[in-house]
Amino acid sequence: MKKYTVCICSGTTCFVMGSAELQTLADHLPPELKDRVEIRFSHCLGLCNDRNFSRAPFVTIEGEPMGGATIPAIIERLGKLASGNA
Amino acid sequence: MNGALFLDVGQAQCPKKGERVCGDAFRSRKFPAENRVISVLADGLGSGLKANVLATMTATMGLKFVSADAQILPAAEIMMEALPVCRVRKISYATFTIIDCRMESRTRVIELDNPPFILIRNGEPVDVAHRELVSPKHRDRVLRVSEFEMQPEDRIVAFTDGISQAGLGTDRHHLGWKRTGVAGFLCRRIAAAPTVSAQHLAEQLLREALSQEADGCAGDDMTATVLYFRQPRRLLVLSGPPYDQARDTEYARMIDEFPGRRVICGGTTANIVARILHREIETVIDSGSRTLPAFSRMPGTDLVTEGILTLTRTAQLLEGDLQPGERNAATSLVELFRESDLIEFVVGTRINEAHQDPTLPVDLEIRRNIVRRIAAALRDRLFKEVSVRFI
Repeated sequence: MKKYTVCICSGTTCFVMGSAELQTLADHLPPELKDRVEIRFSHCLGLCNDRNFSRAPFVTIEGEPMGGATIPAIIERLGKLASGNA
Repeated sequence: MNGALFLDVGQAQCPKKGERVCGDAFRSRKFPAENRVISVLADGLGSGLKANVLATMTATMGLKFVSADAQILPAAEIMMEALPVCRVRKISYATFTIIDCRMESRTRVIELDNPPFILIRNGEPVDVAHRELVSPKHRDRVLRVSEFEMQPEDRIVAFTDGISQAGLGTDRHHLGWKRTGVAGFLCRRIAAAPTVSAQHLAEQLLREALSQEADGCAGDDMTATVLYFRQPRRLLVLSGPPYDQARDTEYARMIDEFPGRRVICGGTTANIVARILHREIETVIDSGSRTLPAFSRMPGTDLVTEGILTLTRTAQLLEGDLQPGERNAATSLVELFRESDLIEFVVGTRINEAHQDPTLPVDLEIRRNIVRRIAAALRDRLFKEVSVRFI
């Protein structure tokens, strides 16, 4: 089964804006996603100074940036990918 | 010490069981113009605060007199007479070891009633000849003066009697661990790790002395000091993007051109270096915590960390706020600092706009201010040579 890659930015701005919390993403994944997600960390995705994106904390899900990331928002996006409704 | 041999200074101490303040004092100062390092270890009479005051006065006076090249006997008389007299024992008392190391000439060690220092050369303790000086005013106090030339890889180890008398009265050591026990331990440690730093060796000696005690607690104030004469170990720290973007390439290349260990503190900085040098960065899983981001690895570097938060925590650690068992990017950085002698910071001063966002939940300190704090702590507390330049 395909695994989805989530990459969490741990640069300064993202970290203080909430990626410290995102580090616990694995603990919050629902059972159906537990084995379908690979969580990685980046030293800095370099998105916080790019005005085309919204705001920190940033993650990428399958390479797609997500701004203002929260655990529920990430799980919702992963759920949609897994169910083919992305 | 410019490019030549370097004196690495380390010390570790522990107060007597039940006391909050150590009655020993250690002071060390570098005199770059004279290529000279003076270190003084003093042990005050008794323990606790009173002993600490006696020891601190002695160490401070010793450092002043020796740095001013005062004659040692009159200086020692002044020191003994200046100390307050103990109301109970009717004596003014502090023992000391002064190590006056001139890098390009002879080293002189002046001792008064501390356990004799140990010189370790080629992994073995070496006997050093000494002469004795007695003041007519204090006939019961004998000064020992030793002079010798330091050789590369020599170590001078000085300690207070809390170390050599560790375990006194136990079945293992009726008369304490003794100087021979200390020397044997040092030789074994150095054989196992020939380039062990002064700080690590001092800490290992203290731990081993504590382990000789029946209850693992110090029966007397304990201080271990190590001076290690060696080729300097250099460390480069790049932090922050250059003010002028046109200098990014020059900045990144410093990593490859530097003859020593290299650290990058800052995500944007790491991205600049990775882009210009075509390197991959890999973040180490589980190296982060709720308070500090994870660290990363990049070929050609020894450590890559996040910037401001890690540097701020590093400054706090160096200023004395060490939490037992803490392992993270900041403690890894402190470890690299401790293992280095000449530390060069190159600090980029371009402002990160995202850090100016008024909705950030914490105040982010300005990078150059934190680096200045770190540099001061490295100089004053770890006796490192530090340079900071801005780009």
